[in-house]
Amino acid sequence: MNKNIIKDKSPLPASTSAPSFSSNSIRLSGREWMFVGIILAVLLHVGPALWEKIEPFEPGTDYRLSYELSNDYWLYSRYCRWACQRYDTIVIGDSVIWGYYVPRNATLSHYLGEVTGQQRFANLGVDGIHPAALAGLIRYYGRAISNKQVILHFNPLWMSSKKHDLQIEKEFRFNHPKLVAQFRPKIPCYKESFSKRLSVVVQNHLSFFSWLGHLRLVYFDGMNISTWTLKYPYKNPFEVIIPRRSVPDDNEVYEQASWKEKGIAKREILWVEPGTSLQWRFFQQTVELLQARGNRLFVLVGPFNEHMLQAESKENYERVKTEIESWLKQKKIAYYIPPVLPSEFYRDVSHPLAKGYEMLAEEIVENPSFRSSIH
Amino acid sequence: MLFHTWSFLLFFLIFYPLYLVLKGTRLKLPFLFAASYFFYACFSPLYLVLITYSTLIDYAAVTIMEKSKRRKIWLIVSVVNNLCLLGFFKYAGFVVDNLNYLLSSLDLSYRFPGPGILLPIGISFYVLQSMSYVIDYYRGNIGREKSFLRYATFMSFFPRLVAGPIERARNLLPQLSENSAVYLEDVTDGASLFVTGLFKKVALADYFALYVDKVYANPEQFQSPALILATFLFAWQIYFDFSGYTDMARGIARMMGIRLIPNFKNPYLATGLGEFWSRWHISLSSWFKDYVYIPLGGNRRGKFNTYKNMFLTMVISGLWHGAAWTFVAWAVVHVLGRFATRELERTSFYKDKVPRLVKQLLIFLFVLFTWIFFRAESIGDAGVIIKRIFCTGFMDPKCPVWALVLIFTAWVYQFIYESRFRWFLELAVVRIGIVLFMVLYLMICASSSERAFVYMQF
Repeated sequence: MNKNIIKDKSPLPASTSAPSFSSNSIRLSGREWMFVGIILAVLLHVGPALWEKIEPFEPGTDYRLSYELSNDYWLYSRYCRWACQRYDTIVIGDSVIWGYYVPRNATLSHYLGEVTGQQRFANLGVDGIHPAALAGLIRYYGRAISNKQVILHFNPLWMSSKKHDLQIEKEFRFNHPKLVAQFRPKIPCYKESFSKRLSVVVQNHLSFFSWLGHLRLVYFDGMNISTWTLKYPYKNPFEVIIPRRSVPDDNEVYEQASWKEKGIAKREILWVEPGTSLQWRFFQQTVELLQARGNRLFVLVGPFNEHMLQAESKENYERVKTEIESWLKQKKIAYYIPPVLPSEFYRDVSHPLAKGYEMLAEEIVENPSFRSSIH
Repeated sequence: MLFHTWSFLLFFLIFYPLYLVLKGTRLKLPFLFAASYFFYACFSPLYLVLITYSTLIDYAAVTIMEKSKRRKIWLIVSVVNNLCLLGFFKYAGFVVDNLNYLLSSLDLSYRFPGPGILLPIGISFYVLQSMSYVIDYYRGNIGREKSFLRYATFMSFFPRLVAGPIERARNLLPQLSENSAVYLEDVTDGASLFVTGLFKKVALADYFALYVDKVYANPEQFQSPALILATFLFAWQIYFDFSGYTDMARGIARMMGIRLIPNFKNPYLATGLGEFWSRWHISLSSWFKDYVYIPLGGNRRGKFNTYKNMFLTMVISGLWHGAAWTFVAWAVVHVLGRFATRELERTSFYKDKVPRLVKQLLIFLFVLFTWIFFRAESIGDAGVIIKRIFCTGFMDPKCPVWALVLIFTAWVYQFIYESRFRWFLELAVVRIGIVLFMVLYLMICASSSERAFVYMQF
């Protein structure tokens, strides 16, 4: 208690008349506020934990966070804990790891399991996540990933333009803004108000708020309850919250057509140098964070679809790869930069098709660095 | 920096402990003044120029008045200066728009250029507060404030700076002079007020605004039920928005050991329009009564003059709310209603035979009707809404039932509070239960809103 606050009845200043307190009876004493504080603290702490007990969550083999729940960081955190208890190797990355153009039983983690003959690789990829957001995801929601074997993927796509690298001054909507660094380092295209950034920081530190985010995504179509009642004016919002399985079935059919079959043209890419790249800087932070948490790390870079690059872009890409490699070497991090896969195994500039993942898994398992770091 | 944002929370978390430490020292006032100016500068640093100018002029006017024999001249200087400030920043655009409209209806091609000024937040409030200080001094109701710093803090005191309550010098200045301690009761009462205000603003007002904005943006696309419900929701939106702001302002001040005057007293339970105005925006109503209505003659010179004075006061009050004809229309409808109910209230039938609840509902329905003018984008839109309310059929209004449940719960609470069953609401378990509900509701259901307060634009 601050010594400047005196525990006594307050006399009114002699020079003023006594204005009434309010037009309601909502007036708590110090003890009553303390009681409210204790109840709230308990609820804040117990609420999400209790919810975990009553909401079914049985991910099963080859589980991946569904596309619709990509922003459900509470579920990611829950899945992280679940996966870290059952699997010895965690595979982290963006949609390349998540498997954007393939079903969940044709992702890299699936084929790694198939090639090694063991179900030990958990797919913790998140669709649409970029290194700046991944750093936040691992920092706040991936705390369970400690003392594990981790395969961390880096997709050079995020350095393929200033926009991908979040370096343009003009504001634009990018994925997972709540996960990026809110104040430092400064992200030029992120223009949220100071207040909003502050609220994001608080939310990232209190699991209660990410749990609320989960409720909104799973039960209220991703809306807050006020907005939801506008869409469903005659429904009782509290009736909707009946715990249910938050793992939508992955029944989508994935067409295995290559980029050429889809008629995608070759591209000129203006690479951002790793030395000036924000995304690369955030990736480095993630590496350091995972190492600090006692994880054994294996970094996978690419394989980028170099077949899609124009000659000059290809040359520049080699330079980017060399710089990335030299940093990994310097930090003594186990890594693998696989050679480009056959052209027909790519769906676009960075995503392999099922065959590509299978081939990549075989190559990774054969890689001496992998064999020595991931047991 | 709005009260319901995280940046304000951060500001207050830094400000408050320092304030408690400095409260008993000579540094209290400079610190409070600096914090208030910082708070105001967060909206725009340019606003500081204006408030400093207004503060300087009125402080100087009173200082000179003390020594001068021509006191009235300095009163006029101060009042004219304040009215010019308000007139220029608030009404220049309105006047130019109307002149241009007049020119176009006369088929003249000349157009006056728009002033291109944004209304500085809070100007309508601090200008009235400043005027009340000068007029009260002139009338001999208060003494001159000798400390410029204290006067400047009185003018810029941040909890009430952007939307009132419009404080009187005799209430606030002495409290800024005292170096009394902050009592635990001040902190707990302040927190109670703040949480109630926050709930009113974020959980209720901003929620109702979602539906109101949708309907009022395109009234011609909605039929009677939606328009009635949107108006009903707006009546509660504006009440919860403004009274929520006031509660938060009073709560913050109270935590600092300073008591601001209450601004609302369950206005939708009024049984007459006169009573409504003694329950709604009390600090403004009493300001207009003391500085406009009574100087005009009040009710002293017969019925006609009384009604004329009421009419003028109400129209000026309407214009104070905003530079638009909708506010004038709102005020005129209100004052006509006031004339009618004043006469009605004098009949023994209305006084003795009509049940209280019926009177309350009648007044509420009338006030509801007047809000159409207040909320509509233009007089034309208000006309469209009224016409469509009476002339269109039934189409599903798609109004959230949950919003109506919240409103009726609040309404019932107010009825109980003003009945002999108030003891029930004063039970500890009920009070604690309500606070818990409000806090949890804010955390779980309310959106993280940064929507400005409605009255800030006035």
